[in-house]
Amino acid sequence: MKKCMECMKTRWNRFVALLKRHPPLQYVIFGGMLAIMGLGPYFGIIPVSTAMFGALITVMIWTVAALGINLLLGYGGLISLATAGFMGVGALGVGIFMTEYGWPFELAALMTLLISGALGLLIGIFSLKVSGIYLAIGTLFVGEILRRIFTNVPIFGGERINIGEITFLGRFTIDRNLPFQDFATGASQYERYWLYLILTVLMVLTMIVVHNIVKSRTGRAFMAMSRSENAAQSMGISIIKYRLIAFIVATMLATLGGIMYAIYFQNAPTEAWTLILSLMIIGAVVVGGLKSIFGTFLGAVIIHLVPNLYLRPLFGDVRSLFTGVLIIVVILFYPRGVVFVVTDLKKLWGKLKKRLQGRKETAHDEQS
Amino acid sequence: MNSPKKPILELNKVTMRFGGLVAVDNLSFTVHEKEIVGLIGPNGAGKTTVFNCATQFYDDYEGDIRFYTEAGDSVDLRSKKVTEIAPLGISRTFQNIELVQDLSILDNVLIGAHYKFETGVFRHIFKTKKARDEEQVWKARAEEILKFMNIAHLKHFYVAGQPYGILKKIEIARAMMMNPRLIILDEPAAGLTDYETDELEKLVYRIRDEYNISILLIEHDMGFVMNICDRVCAINFGKYIAMDTPKNIQEHPEVKEAYLGSEA
Repeated sequence: MKKCMECMKTRWNRFVALLKRHPPLQYVIFGGMLAIMGLGPYFGIIPVSTAMFGALITVMIWTVAALGINLLLGYGGLISLATAGFMGVGALGVGIFMTEYGWPFELAALMTLLISGALGLLIGIFSLKVSGIYLAIGTLFVGEILRRIFTNVPIFGGERINIGEITFLGRFTIDRNLPFQDFATGASQYERYWLYLILTVLMVLTMIVVHNIVKSRTGRAFMAMSRSENAAQSMGISIIKYRLIAFIVATMLATLGGIMYAIYFQNAPTEAWTLILSLMIIGAVVVGGLKSIFGTFLGAVIIHLVPNLYLRPLFGDVRSLFTGVLIIVVILFYPRGVVFVVTDLKKLWGKLKKRLQGRKETAHDEQS
Repeated sequence: MNSPKKPILELNKVTMRFGGLVAVDNLSFTVHEKEIVGLIGPNGAGKTTVFNCATQFYDDYEGDIRFYTEAGDSVDLRSKKVTEIAPLGISRTFQNIELVQDLSILDNVLIGAHYKFETGVFRHIFKTKKARDEEQVWKARAEEILKFMNIAHLKHFYVAGQPYGILKKIEIARAMMMNPRLIILDEPAAGLTDYETDELEKLVYRIRDEYNISILLIEHDMGFVMNICDRVCAINFGKYIAMDTPKNIQEHPEVKEAYLGSEA
């Protein structure tokens, strides 16, 4: 028995070492876990209900948009309140290109990303002139202008654009409302699992991209630029260039979030992209942990999944009140982000271990 | 010492005004290759302003600041932007520590090599082989410099919470990352203990001798300046007083007056 424990331990250590050598692997494993969780409703596993499935979808969409904000706010020290607007650009852009122009999905998504990248560039240029609260106000209006355009310009179809079934790579057509036939159980579930899988893959890819950016020269330049502009410049870091990069990446990720929305819901509403959504996403970043990739996911879980899944049945319609309380409590106890719960748990575990060992040793001493 | 030396930085009649205040007034001096030059003066004498002009943080000064490249060409620094100063081979440290608190020491030092990297953000996103190799090369160089500064054992710690002496060393290490030809040190010994100051003295000598770097520094610790510098330039209210060997400067009547006041 003891031997087995030992070999488990060495295996675990080897696994940890592997993760340290290839950090992106942890995101892949995380994505794999989510993919398995998504199968829950099909097998009737209680903790993963259909409601949980739906909430996880939104959490993933938020995480992608929030990772952009994390790059901007946590690393670059910049802020944008136009996140929701750009998510709208993603969802509605894909919708228009697919329904009005009949483009294939991939081309529509690429075009939308390019357009939002260009818009991000413009905001970046604007950010060179202003900073802090003025930047927040400026981007607030960018988001509001985008929302007004969505609701008032007729091309966006008034209330929503119905995209309908989406064909991926020209071969796989998935309609979210069609029953899911040939799966192991044959239960009358929907094809949504494939869409869930696509979203998971996109989120994992985003996590890896953000990780790679952050751990590179570009990430260090972001940090230097936000923490000490003078030092950054005297090291040859061009503030202009890195501000633009930060804004372009952030808006493109927000747009990707919108595209993910379009993929899963297969329609794009015009009214959903409000300031509240932008603020919620910033909230997710701050609550989850600035400068932490898993923290961003955790923040989205706390801000979206917990209130909708657990607080709604408890408190009904006044849940937003408790959402606010929850956020305040989290910020009170973990001002640097919930992700530090892990560090605290580790510390606790270390203490517990020590105490247990101490007890064993004293027992040993008494025996001898 | 008597052989004619090549100049590396030359200030010619530099004047810098902030509104009505003349911070630097018609100042000229030259730093030669492989020389350690100190710039001294009472508080508010305009020393840091001189540095900020030389590194183009202020570009609306009058006069000329020239830098001589390895090939011997002279470059008018005014034609360069502040971010183009580092690629010329000038790096600097700051009077108030300007480090990224929430990055490890190693990463902070790597920031110093920023413009040496060739890969851009796209290569970083996909983490291509070239990007990885480049990162490895510069990491090795950063570790070598940290070893040189005697703080290699701390490389994975965050900057936040490190003692002052270590912070100063990290700043110098960062400035050395880009293989500069001239390092401008803004009060490197301020706030250091006597022991640390002695250590810094040895380090500055070694930086000059082993890496062939010229050094221009501001310092209030007169013991440090007089020990270490080949020549010292004294200024007061932005005006040049004298530039000479430390010994002669100490005896210069006007310098004494600037520091101690005239006998009434």
